[in-house]
Amino acid sequence: MDLSRREFTKFGCRIIIGAAAGATIVESIATLGVAQEESSNKEYDWNEHLWGYVVDTRKCIGCGRCANACKLENEVPFDEPVYRTWIERYRIVREGTEESVKIDSPDGGIKGFAEDIPAEEIKKAFYVPKICNHCDNPPCVQVCPVGATYKTEDGVILVDYNYCIGCRYCIQGCPYGARYFNNEKRTADKCTWCYHRITKGLLPACVQACPVGARKFGDLKDPESEINKILDKERINVLKADLGTKPKVYYVGLDREVR
Amino acid sequence: MQPHLKRAFIILVLVIIGFLFVRSFIVPESFGQYGWYRGDSVAELRDIPVGYAGSASCSGINNECHKTTYSIWVDSRHKTVNCETCHGPSEKHVIDTRVMPEPANDTREFCGLCHFKRAARPADFPQIDPETHGENLKCAYCHNPHKPWFL
Amino acid sequence: MAVENLVWGYIYPNEIEIQWSVLIVLYPYITGLVAGAFIASSLYHVFGKREIKPVARFALLTALSFLLVATMPLLTHLGHPERGIEIMFTPHLTSAMSGFGYIYSFYLIVVVLEIWLSFREDIVKNALKCKGWKKQMYSALALYSYDISGKALHDDEKLAKKLAIIGIPSAAFLHGYVGFIFGGIKANPWWSTPLMPIIFLMSAIVSGIALLILLYIAASKLRKKVLNYETLFSLAHYLWVFLILDVALELLEIISMKYESLEEIEIIDRLLSEKIATTFYGVQLTMGIFIPFVLLILVMVMKNREQLKTLMIAVSSIFVVIGVFAMRWNVVIGGQEISKSLSGTNTYVPVFFSQEGVLPAIIILTIPFIILLVLTYILPPWKDMDEDID
Repeated sequence: MDLSRREFTKFGCRIIIGAAAGATIVESIATLGVAQEESSNKEYDWNEHLWGYVVDTRKCIGCGRCANACKLENEVPFDEPVYRTWIERYRIVREGTEESVKIDSPDGGIKGFAEDIPAEEIKKAFYVPKICNHCDNPPCVQVCPVGATYKTEDGVILVDYNYCIGCRYCIQGCPYGARYFNNEKRTADKCTWCYHRITKGLLPACVQACPVGARKFGDLKDPESEINKILDKERINVLKADLGTKPKVYYVGLDREVR
Repeated sequence: MQPHLKRAFIILVLVIIGFLFVRSFIVPESFGQYGWYRGDSVAELRDIPVGYAGSASCSGINNECHKTTYSIWVDSRHKTVNCETCHGPSEKHVIDTRVMPEPANDTREFCGLCHFKRAARPADFPQIDPETHGENLKCAYCHNPHKPWFL
Repeated sequence: MAVENLVWGYIYPNEIEIQWSVLIVLYPYITGLVAGAFIASSLYHVFGKREIKPVARFALLTALSFLLVATMPLLTHLGHPERGIEIMFTPHLTSAMSGFGYIYSFYLIVVVLEIWLSFREDIVKNALKCKGWKKQMYSALALYSYDISGKALHDDEKLAKKLAIIGIPSAAFLHGYVGFIFGGIKANPWWSTPLMPIIFLMSAIVSGIALLILLYIAASKLRKKVLNYETLFSLAHYLWVFLILDVALELLEIISMKYESLEEIEIIDRLLSEKIATTFYGVQLTMGIFIPFVLLILVMVMKNREQLKTLMIAVSSIFVVIGVFAMRWNVVIGGQEISKSLSGTNTYVPVFFSQEGVLPAIIILTIPFIILLVLTYILPPWKDMDEDID
């Protein structure tokens, strides 16, 4: 009796999670629910998707809930200085006639940002969330000597923890500092865009945790997806475009100081 | 060819054959299935258990566990804040309701992660000065986190 | 020391940990010594410079001693050393590093064969002369084939020459590719330059010749034999020539970086003026290149005074060997001390006792000398050194 009820709850939850898929706007859950429920029953086919990510820096409030959720969801060592995603704060500071750029990201932004410069000295300030760009031309995959990191058909860069030798060449090769060495696994590690979630129809943990919708995730192959709508409408930039990595994290409102 | 050179050559060939022989055993079978990597690793990475269940598993169309709170929240200004952003990852609780998640953090500092006055925040985002606002009381003393109001 | 004191400006949060430690400094250093020693021996074997003959076989043994430990710093550094062999089983060919296994193995085969062929006459003689386990060992080394007739030896010599001809490009390749491991990283402005492989190669040759000079002097002193000054001065001459090529390339890199003044110039300036100023300007350029350069010019213009000239060559060689180590350090560590955000720097603090510490580095750097001692006991190369002295 007890067991069957638990089984039932479990089954129910699976459907519910499926129902939540793709729903980024809470109000639309009811209408989306049925369709998503059906599609989640199908086997995931990676040829049908190409994932992309949009960051609207104008919306970010620097609360750090994304970086926090990422560490919890992906079991990233919590007290070590390693991050799959983090938030940077940029402050253009006026000191007399001099202007300087102060950048920081204490604890990746997980514990918030203290106000340590008087407001009247700050000319301009903003937050920039950072995450693996899942480049279309990934230098990290290029330099892996054994084939332990790769690009999936749906455009996600993953690390094979059971094959990585731990040489850390990929960490050197990433221009964005998105990779780190996992001291527990003794391998390289990085953001997977929560591959275990997106292939089940869920959103990446950081996107779901964002309270202001500064992070958006979706399917570039779906012309109706929310991110495609943003990409069609907004002026878009990517980080370090000159390196030819072809990032799939697209920034809205990116300042020239951001690298 | 001199006999000693022939022997050296045979040793070299044997070493190479031995290497290829060992290699054929050790390289994982699924290596190269999709590309220059171990195909099985994709399934391994997909099968990692989920931690965050999503707000839709708390209430809504498929269950009514947290019906009242949910219906208040879904119309509030906090509707863009998912349940687990404050309450923490709850997939285990969804699967087995006897596993209780950590209670939500109700300190001023936690609310302040979003709402303390910060120069880098968008100016139109609701922010308070913690020194002058709220007399150091917990925010929930005046504000309902599920349906916040402000003046 | 607190983290705050080590970091200046902004570095990406994941950059707090320096990934490639002193062991990775050691790796290109060791392969450089190998390549340099091999190329020194080729001066005789391929280019027929008879004045190098006394040290030609000794140089080969030196190359092998260092080649045998070249994998050690890498394996010690890996997160999963037991998976290291994957680099040979499934080499991912777009990675500069994936070539390591095969290039290394190929080169090892060439060096071993070269040594075997040039020592075969001695091996066979020992196999016929010795008793007991020594006889067993030399017979096995001779592959139980004892033909040392004039024709057999002549064939050996011909094959050895061919191998040496293959050996030069493979030595250049072995080391040039190590340079490309760094030079091909577009993420790092301090590394990313097409000059890197050739700079690595030139400094490799320089360090290898300097090491050979030091070992030759040391061996002669230990064996209480007279140095062959013709050989010594000839080596010193080649050292000087390669020093010029080396310094030209190294300066070219810095000058073009400064002249072009791209986005990264501010952080490169900071790296050169604050982070690695001593090891770059002081050790790498002044001590490692400028002082030896001047001393070696003096050696070439001075008449007689062999003792003093030997001392000057020895000092130059010591400085060169240290200077090239500093060059490896400045590349490997320097490149990691600047943030890829181009907005800050980090500081590498060597640890003594740890898997990637200074202690394992010292141990690894000691092993080749022990191997060399054993090798010269089994295959003494001294005959060449002694017989040519008139």
